[in-house]
Amino acid sequence: MNTVIWLVRREFWENRAIWMIPAVIGGLMVLIALFGRVDLMSISPQMPVQAVGGGFLLAVGATFFAVMSIYSTWYLLDCLYADRKDRSVLFWKSMPISDTTTVLSKLATALIVIPAVYFAGADLTTLIMAFIVSVRWSASIDGALWHANLWLQLQTLWLYMIATTALWYLPIAAYLLVVSAWAKRAVMLWSLLPPLTLVLAERWFFDSHVIADVLGKRLLGYPAQAFRDDPGSSSWVTTVVDNDTITTPISIWGFFNVGGFFSSAETWIGIAVGAALIVCAIQLRTRRTEI
Amino acid sequence: MPALIEALDLTKKYGAHVALDRANFSVEAGRIVGLIGPNGAGKTTALRAILGLTAYEGQLKVLGHEPFRERTALMHDACFIADVAVLPGWLRVDHAIDFVAGVHPRFRRDRALALLAKADITGERRMRELSKGMKTQVHLALTMAIDAKLLVLDEPTLGLDILARRAFYDALVNDYMDETRTILITTHQVEEVENLLTDVLFIDKGRIVLDSSLDDIATRYAAVAVAADNLDAARAEKPFHERPMLGKVVLYYEQPNLTKLASLGEVHALNVADLFVAKLSGGAE
Repeated sequence: MNTVIWLVRREFWENRAIWMIPAVIGGLMVLIALFGRVDLMSISPQMPVQAVGGGFLLAVGATFFAVMSIYSTWYLLDCLYADRKDRSVLFWKSMPISDTTTVLSKLATALIVIPAVYFAGADLTTLIMAFIVSVRWSASIDGALWHANLWLQLQTLWLYMIATTALWYLPIAAYLLVVSAWAKRAVMLWSLLPPLTLVLAERWFFDSHVIADVLGKRLLGYPAQAFRDDPGSSSWVTTVVDNDTITTPISIWGFFNVGGFFSSAETWIGIAVGAALIVCAIQLRTRRTEI
Repeated sequence: MPALIEALDLTKKYGAHVALDRANFSVEAGRIVGLIGPNGAGKTTALRAILGLTAYEGQLKVLGHEPFRERTALMHDACFIADVAVLPGWLRVDHAIDFVAGVHPRFRRDRALALLAKADITGERRMRELSKGMKTQVHLALTMAIDAKLLVLDEPTLGLDILARRAFYDALVNDYMDETRTILITTHQVEEVENLLTDVLFIDKGRIVLDSSLDDIATRYAAVAVAADNLDAARAEKPFHERPMLGKVVLYYEQPNLTKLASLGEVHALNVADLFVAKLSGGAE
């Protein structure tokens, strides 16, 4: 355990972007809150105050998550490759640390540590922004951003997303690690080439698109897998704003599809494929010391 | 006591290229062994196999471990510098010390700090800010501060100036080496390590061509420089190598008849470099 902590600390030394990027995003957002026109109520005066407040906090967090997904992809592609490129792998391998521990610590950094850093960054930023916005537009906003229930729901949403994205995207993350442990150069290109080749070959020879569908579902199907979209059920309400009807769950709890996510075969197939690819990445790390 | 390193028919192929060809050798505890060979002879491959960095065929035991399968356990008792200047550029000197102290139970921080202080290297600097020589010093300090039974060094002084080289070898012999340790070292600068080695392994084309202690070399081999008129008589004594030098010819012998040779010319002992050249270039030069 101690070793894992040191390995994670090492990732922070090597990849200062882990905390610098969220720090910069947070800083920019606070600047916008301080000097921009974030008069929330004037955006859509008809919306209920709570919905505007919730939407605002959600948007801040979503920005962090979007940037994080791009950064994590890059991190996973780079982490094992960088050691081989600068040959420092010869130093790391002189330590009594198994390749399994090394690879798993990098995976944990990408799927747990980096999300936790962004989560903390998003929380801190939303707190500061909510405070600034509430003070600047205290008259119109009327405490819309300060509902304990709203905050609790958002925290739960982020934690749920961290846990479920880690599981849903495990095969992708493990695949990126395999490329990172294997490629001699151009990791980005090598990560795209095999799936593209497979998709095109299938289309060429069989005129079908099974692989493309599977990959597409894996990349874009996360929301449908982890969240509920059944407006007919009793926990959903329909709000009429002018001429538009908006159907939303009463609370965010109604959105989570925990049972569906964990009982889905696709979730578990993905985890199994991910585990197999992790074993591959560890084997490659053991055997491929140099570029 | 069993040998520290025991290789039996150690073989490593890269496609059609055979880097190690059924190499047999052993290294006893408490020795300083030089693994010496020309470029491409298989030195680095042999070291990589010993350190568990590469898979191999044949049998290999290092400190009782199978290196490739048990690298993690092996690295508790063995440490290595497989190449110079492999510390990553982003790593800070003090972080490097913290890291090794954190993950290596046999690391002694005070010793590493003392070695760094001697080399005048301060903690907050990153590797990329250091010269190649200083980077090597940091790596050596980290490695020599580990209480390991086996230390493996691959060209450890590459890129160091003559003062730093001398300082390194002095430190290795005086501060580091004791009867509990064993050192395996490769270098192409045979002359530089000749005085500190206790044993040599010559490797050529993936095979061990000589496995001998330095004491044995001194008693087993001799060379004689003869003038042209004694050449035939000298050749009759079956030299394994000869080379012309300043109008005379120097002939190399294994287990020579020293009294006979003394009558033919000036006899002297062979040093490791001479023997290395003679063994690897075969008959005449």
